[in-house]
Parts: sequence; structure tokens; C-alpha cells
Amino acid sequence: MNHMNSMGEMKRRRLRPFALILLVLAWNAYSQITVAVAANVQFAMEELKTEFKKSTGIDVKTSYGASGSFCTQIKNGAPFDVFISADMDFPDSLYKWGFAKEKPKPYAYGKLVLWTLKDFDLDKGLSVLSDSGVAKIALPDPKRAPYGREAAKAMKKSGLYDKIESKLVYGENISQVSQYILTGNVDIGFNAKSIVLAGEVAGKGKWKEVDSTLYDKIAQGAVICKYGLENNPSLSQRFYEFLFSDSAHAIFLRYGYVLP
Amino acid sequence: MHSIDFGPLWLTLRIALISTAILFCICLPLAFKLTQSRPWLRYPMQAMANLPLVLPPTVLGFYLLLLFSPERLPGAWVKAVFHVTLAFSQPGLVVASIIFSLPFMINPMISGFESLPRVLTEEATMDGATPWQIMAHVLIPNMRPALMAGIVLTFCHTLGEFGVALMVGGKIPGKTVLASMAVYDEVESLHYGAAHVYSGILCVLALCCLLTIFLLNRKGHRAL
Repeated sequence: MNHMNSMGEMKRRRLRPFALILLVLAWNAYSQITVAVAANVQFAMEELKTEFKKSTGIDVKTSYGASGSFCTQIKNGAPFDVFISADMDFPDSLYKWGFAKEKPKPYAYGKLVLWTLKDFDLDKGLSVLSDSGVAKIALPDPKRAPYGREAAKAMKKSGLYDKIESKLVYGENISQVSQYILTGNVDIGFNAKSIVLAGEVAGKGKWKEVDSTLYDKIAQGAVICKYGLENNPSLSQRFYEFLFSDSAHAIFLRYGYVLP
Repeated sequence: MHSIDFGPLWLTLRIALISTAILFCICLPLAFKLTQSRPWLRYPMQAMANLPLVLPPTVLGFYLLLLFSPERLPGAWVKAVFHVTLAFSQPGLVVASIIFSLPFMINPMISGFESLPRVLTEEATMDGATPWQIMAHVLIPNMRPALMAGIVLTFCHTLGEFGVALMVGGKIPGKTVLASMAVYDEVESLHYGAAHVYSGILCVLALCCLLTIFLLNRKGHRAL
């Protein structure tokens, strides 16, 4: 019996470091949240993260990608606390499927730009796309990325789409379109104003806003996910509210968004 | 159910066939040369040829995106000479597949050449055969199982290409959407029915290829 007890004691002692590690892990999980972020918000998000950390001490882990992809992932149980989409439809469908706390609220409106490293006359508007010098035009996949959807809409509305369809190349999301433009693999591309204004790409090539009558202004909505509600309710709520605060608004403005 | 476009499957088969054929022609002399080379040349070359096996596809995709750019060499040269840009085109997908599947063709060939006794080449040379004659009449007939393994493995592996194609393909419908990418797209769009059809066909195809390899290996052993 005595022997058994000392065995148990030994086991417990051996387990102690593991308990400590678990505690540290649990503590870390407690003081951070994980956010799925539409690629166009990427650069603004880095500043939002810093600002949020400064005022609350809470770490924000971010994953950047296409809103549609995140939407699918969240429906399949991806552990994101908050979803910052590039439109209203994807977070709205999450809400309808029961994967979001409430209906999405727009945190900013995004603007579409044409961006090129080459010497095209962007003042011509979209008709520059039918120039003979333009061989390849990049846009985000219209099926999954809202900026791509609006870009396709703008080309259709201006009657150019059928003429230039064969020049189109699709990126997984807005960041891949930026890579295609920056590596010179396409001549011109559609992008978000929030990307071309970011420090990382500032001064590379030139850009011009797409005529805003040609597409619907891109209302970008955010929701607290079911996962966040169940695992991280107070931190998720704090971060969500922060998105609509004055300091977040100042950052959104600096990145070319229009405020709700 | 969401309608199914078989284009990506045909394109995948076409790219796989073309890449396999080109790889066969490149790798046969290369593998032979390597088995004849001195170790200081042979092993570094062999290591280089096997890089695509261990590197993440994203690394290949990143470099290819830079190399394909018509703004600088070698992409600019390819554009000037062949009038094609490799990014977002089928020739580009073939180039990507060739690099991506190189180890799968060259490795079986190298072991094939190594398994042949040296005497074969030496005797043929003494009989006055040219290197090409030796290759065609002596070596190739004697290493058929290795060659078949190389061909089938390369073909299979090219069917499974995804990461590189996603980075340099540009997803142009009907032009650069491979079956693997179609599966990804359909899953992302919640069209599970279509994803099942593509995936099912790929599973059957891959299974048949692998079965072929195992049957060939068995026959090869018998022949030896």
C-alpha cells in the first residue's frame, strides 16, 4: 500500500511541469483572440492590432484571406472569434446559419482602384483596359472575393466585359492580385484603395479610383462568431466594439475607407 | 446539383500527359549522364533534382512567379522568342509540372541504370555500337519496369499538382483551372456534390495508376 502511494506521489511530481505548461497555455488563450480578416483590411489591421494591444493588453492573432473562404471555414467549425469580412453577404450568411452572434454591422466602406506599374493612362477610366497594350488584367475571384465581384460588375456596367474577358486573370484574394501586379505578371489589376495606400506598396506604380457609379460601394461587415461567443465572449465583444471606436475610425480613414 | 464542368479534368489529363512525355525525354539522357558522372558532380546534381520533392509548393510557386514575369529574364526572353507568357497559361502549367515532378521521373531511371550490369555497355561498345544504339537496343529494353514506374509515378504526381498551379495559374476558367483547383473551388463554394464528382474521379484514376505500378513491379521481378 505504502509502495502504491509513493508511486502515485512520483507520478504526480512528474506531471507537475506539464500542469504548469497547461496553465501557461490556458492563460495565453485567455488573453488573446483570433480574428479572420479579409485581405483588403490586412494593412489597416496591423495598426488596429497595435492600437488595441496598447489600450487593452489583449493580443489579436490574425489570419488574412478571401472572405468567402473564411465564411466556408467558419461554417465548418474554424476557431475564429471574430470575422472581419470584405462585404455584408458572407457574414450575413453566417448569421443566418447560426454561426454568428448577430447581424453584421458595417465597420467601413471600401473603394475599388485600378493599379498598374506600367505607363497606362488611368485618367481614361476603365476603358484603359481595352488598350492593345494591356494583355493581362488581374482581379480577385468574383465568386469569393467581394472586390472581385464589384470589379466584374464595373466592367459589365461599362460594357467592357465581353471585349476584355479573355485578358482576365483571377487571384485567390486581393493579396494575390497585388503579387501579380507587383511581379509584373499582369499589366494592370483591380485592387482595394486600402492596399495601395499601405506603406508596404506606397510609391509602387500608380493607381486611380474606379468610377463609383459603376459598382455598389463595398460595405464591409464584421460579426462575432459562434466560436468567440462560446469560448471568448468578453474579449471578442471588446474587440468588436473597438472596431467602431474613434481610434479605429481614424485608422480606417487613413487607409482610404469611407466610414459608416 | 450544381452543374459539372469536365474541362478541368481533361485539362489535368492533358497537362499530365504532356509533362510526362517531356520529362521522359529530358530525364532519360540526364539520368544516364548522372550515373556515369563522378561523385562530386553526381550527388549535388541528384540533390538538386530532388529539391521539388521536399520543398513546399509555395516556394516553387513564388520563384516561378518571379521567373515567369515578362518584365525581366528569363520570362522576357521566353516572351520574345516564343511569344508566350508563362504565367497564367498552359505552357506555364507544363513548365511548373515538369519542375514539380522531376524527381518522380529521374529517380526510377537512375536506379534503373544502376541495376544494369556495366558489362552490357562495355560489350556493346566493343562491338562498335554508338551511345544512342546502346541506349535504344541495350539499356532501355533491359530497364523497362523502371521506366514504366517513372512514367506512371510522374503522371500520377502531376494529377495531384495544386499549390504551384494555384500560385501561377491565375484560375482562368477553361484555360488554367486544374481538377485539383476545381475541387478546392467547389468545396469553398459549398458545392459538395460537384466536389464529390471531381474527387471521386481523381481517386479512381490515381488508384488505377498505382495499381499499374504494382502490377508492373511484379512482372518486372518475374522477368529478372
